[in-house]
Amino acid sequence: MKKVTTGTIAAIAVLIPLHAIGETDPARPAMPPMDVPLMNEQARSAGVNHVYSGPWEFFVGGGAASFDCNGDRFPDLALAGGENPARLFVNRSNPGGQLSFESRELGIAPEDAKNVTGLYPIDIDNDGFRDLVLLRVGRNILLKGGPDCTFENAGRAFAFDGGRAWTTAFAATFENGQAYPTLAFGNYVDRTAPGSPWGTCHDNVLMRPSATENPDYSEPEILSPGHCSLSMIFTDWNRSGTPALRVTNDRHYYRDGEEQLWRVDPGKPPRLYRRSDGWKRVNIWGMGIAEGDIDADGYPEYALTSMGDTKLQTLDEDVEEGRPVYRDIAFERNATAHRPYVGDDLKPSTGWHSEFADVNNDGLLDLFIAKGNVEQMPDFAAFDPDNLLLGQHDGTFVEVGALSGIDLDRRGRGAVLADFDMDGALDLVVVNREAPTSVFRNQGGRTSWGARPMGNWLQIELQQDGANRNAVGATILVKSGNATRLRKVQAGGGHASSHAGFIHVGTGVAERAQIRVQWPDGEWSPAYRVFANNFVVIKRGQSEAHYWYPQ
Amino acid sequence: MQYRFPLLAVAMITGFAASAGAGEPWSEKAIGTHVSQSTLVGPLSAEQLQQLVEQGEVLFTAKFTDDDGVGRPMATQAIIPTKRKRPAPQLFQRLAGSDSNACSSCHNDPLPGGAGDLVTNVFVSEGFTNPDFDTTDPQFSNERNTNHLMGAGLVELLAREMSADLQSQRRAALKTARASGAAQAIDLNTKGVSFGSLTAHPDGMVDVSRLDGIDTDLVIRPFSQKGVITSLRQFTVNALNHHHGMQATERFGPRWTGDADFDADGVAGEITEGDVSALVAWQATRKAPHRIQPDNTTWQTLAIRGDGIFDDLDCGQCHRRALPLNDLTFADPGPFDAAGTLRPGERETGAVYDLSDLPWVAALPRDANGAVMVPLFGDLKRHRIADQQVTELGNELLGQRFVDRDVFMTSELWGIASTAPYGHRGDLTTLDRVIRAHGGDARDSRDQYIALDQDDRTALIAFLKTLVIEP
Repeated sequence: MKKVTTGTIAAIAVLIPLHAIGETDPARPAMPPMDVPLMNEQARSAGVNHVYSGPWEFFVGGGAASFDCNGDRFPDLALAGGENPARLFVNRSNPGGQLSFESRELGIAPEDAKNVTGLYPIDIDNDGFRDLVLLRVGRNILLKGGPDCTFENAGRAFAFDGGRAWTTAFAATFENGQAYPTLAFGNYVDRTAPGSPWGTCHDNVLMRPSATENPDYSEPEILSPGHCSLSMIFTDWNRSGTPALRVTNDRHYYRDGEEQLWRVDPGKPPRLYRRSDGWKRVNIWGMGIAEGDIDADGYPEYALTSMGDTKLQTLDEDVEEGRPVYRDIAFERNATAHRPYVGDDLKPSTGWHSEFADVNNDGLLDLFIAKGNVEQMPDFAAFDPDNLLLGQHDGTFVEVGALSGIDLDRRGRGAVLADFDMDGALDLVVVNREAPTSVFRNQGGRTSWGARPMGNWLQIELQQDGANRNAVGATILVKSGNATRLRKVQAGGGHASSHAGFIHVGTGVAERAQIRVQWPDGEWSPAYRVFANNFVVIKRGQSEAHYWYPQ
Repeated sequence: MQYRFPLLAVAMITGFAASAGAGEPWSEKAIGTHVSQSTLVGPLSAEQLQQLVEQGEVLFTAKFTDDDGVGRPMATQAIIPTKRKRPAPQLFQRLAGSDSNACSSCHNDPLPGGAGDLVTNVFVSEGFTNPDFDTTDPQFSNERNTNHLMGAGLVELLAREMSADLQSQRRAALKTARASGAAQAIDLNTKGVSFGSLTAHPDGMVDVSRLDGIDTDLVIRPFSQKGVITSLRQFTVNALNHHHGMQATERFGPRWTGDADFDADGVAGEITEGDVSALVAWQATRKAPHRIQPDNTTWQTLAIRGDGIFDDLDCGQCHRRALPLNDLTFADPGPFDAAGTLRPGERETGAVYDLSDLPWVAALPRDANGAVMVPLFGDLKRHRIADQQVTELGNELLGQRFVDRDVFMTSELWGIASTAPYGHRGDLTTLDRVIRAHGGDARDSRDQYIALDQDDRTALIAFLKTLVIEP
């Protein structure tokens, strides 16, 4: 990919003609040529009335989990509340209609629903119901999912000790040969340690399932040192088939810390990649990780949010193969998102959740970043709107947060991008600190008369029998013409937030595509031929993909 | 990558005028001024439609020039905008294209909008991996003869109604399955044509493994020999790029490519949405072929006899004499196109025109329900047309857009007498020859035809010879 300088970017911005959609509002930035999704905030009418709040421990966290908890394939929503109870919002939207959710309690002990910082959905016991991992200030909890969005504490059933740490990060993977997932918990400041909070980061924890008939996490392994992690993700960074654990850490509290990459080989103790392996020291206020393979070469890029610049890392192609040496391309790709893009505040931004997705269905990955001052940090922007960086064909990004309408004066934390109304366009939920949760319905490409249909899309659900029913760790390749789009099925990352369910892929002007799946054990599927603008269910071993239709 | 947006081109596409043609007499542009889509809003009056059709005819017959943006030095023929790695060595190239100057260069027999003989064959390739192929070796492309476009507006309307009907049947099956909790297996039929069956499950899943002759999204794509093109609009955008290197903004423009001059020929905005609309209107209003009453009494007698033989051989199983069309309202953009072809909602209001205003449409018979009987002699369904013994029409090596190499859309027979040669490659010079080449799903009819005595075969041909294109 040709490098693009900021000078070039500026020139492009000047030369882009106003798109012929009738908009000339001088208060808004010029419309870029691609579709800008019109995001209509409708939390109140959708029935989502929820606030993440609390003292210092809840300056961080504020997660959201979207997953189907009642078998209708519509993504439901669970939101962390900090000192408020975490709540469940069951999706009652009609396809293509206004968003509508039914608010419910999680149905667990009231004290368990409090002090939640983040939530992650994953089917731990392979029963077909997604379970829910609650990250908490204090004891973490595994909730076993049941029919119709019911949950029960599975601590005893899964031999899970949630500890007493302040947990702010989570990731899971199914290690080769294991029936149940390996769970990684990232912890923040150890408040009980002498000198806290400075330099008193808790260790992190890796929980591998014991080889039994039921999930058994009674033998945790310590990932030490911990550097006050705020996000982690299992990632097959080197296409080895064995994901490593990438951890982003908050330099605000650690001493001698850095970003981390743990090698997690099945049956072996995890070990950190070191200088001798090529790992470079990077010190950021690491808040969130998003993985996205922008160029679909199989080697993912990572968006690491921080205070100030967002990092966009790509594997350095000039370095010897197999060495985790990363190059920051955020500047050349116009993705630093380092300060507010509207308003007069020139102070640095504070970034939290990050997520790659194709929000305008043009076939290119976009990048969402939740933003918001930690609390009242005077050296950082107070009005710090969330970013929506649209991917462009030259590999750069362009900011459209204001044009899309997501530039609210709220302190964003966690978020999820999911198609809640099942119309093919990704909607957005942002959990805000001490402010109402934002629920944006993606209405299509913004125009002077409202919105227009955007590009083509596919949404893909993977199924396999036995362990890892939802194929966590699988790779999905969607090929149309010369373009291949790559997605990973993941559990973890972001900022205390994640989505499980249909994997969304924008296909631009391609009206059909071939899908190939590399299942978590490395086996490749046949090519499935599908037409765009459909929900596709692929069951391992079947020769044909099936369509699913929402109602 | 730099944005190219020549000032000349900007002026050209923003200074819309009423006519697609004209310009100074000495201009070397074929397109004097572009058609503005902004004028094509809501129901068009007969006068507005007439003007649009005239603009379309100018464009259909225009020999595009360098000044218009002909050629695609840095783009392939692919329907998905695809950059070439190296500039095309020639502006025109009869294999990979660009391969013609005007639409009417090929669609001209017996009149503009008609078919073409072998010399107009095109080479259909996806254009992704072999944009430069310079061989007729069928492993690189499928050689196809030029189809006629007469009556195409009615064909598209039929396909729209059939697609809507089939998708409605799917919705109903899903609704019943969800309500009853039991899987619903339904036969898919529309306008008397069966498209196999599907099973709708209570959880919203649909098993499409038993569909027949239609894509899995239940969209009938009535155009091209293969039956893979949804609409005249999609066909127009595809063909303009493939054959002329004239790139329509609605697919090759900055919205989808980030580039105002995607093919890097120095001209941006080569074909506007309005230009495409004009071309669609012209094609959609082409007079349908019809059946003549021969002056020659012997021919009359033979044709009557052949008409009966057509039924006796069950040719009408696929070559349906007529399909009923309920609504003659042609909306452009249409309802089944995907992104990259203008869709409803992409403009505040689309254009709508009533084909029933056309005299030749008004003259078509109607059934008891008032539906216009469109005499296309086709079923808008794909069939396998070759088998182990009869292979001639299975002569392609490449499938196309998920359709097997030996499966093709039933050729509509209206106008067949005016559109020799025959077969998708246009290499069969007589009707007798092409009938004998029918294998696969048509094998029984073909065998019966061969078993006829010569007089009966002649009678069938005489009947087919009454299906003509006339001005």
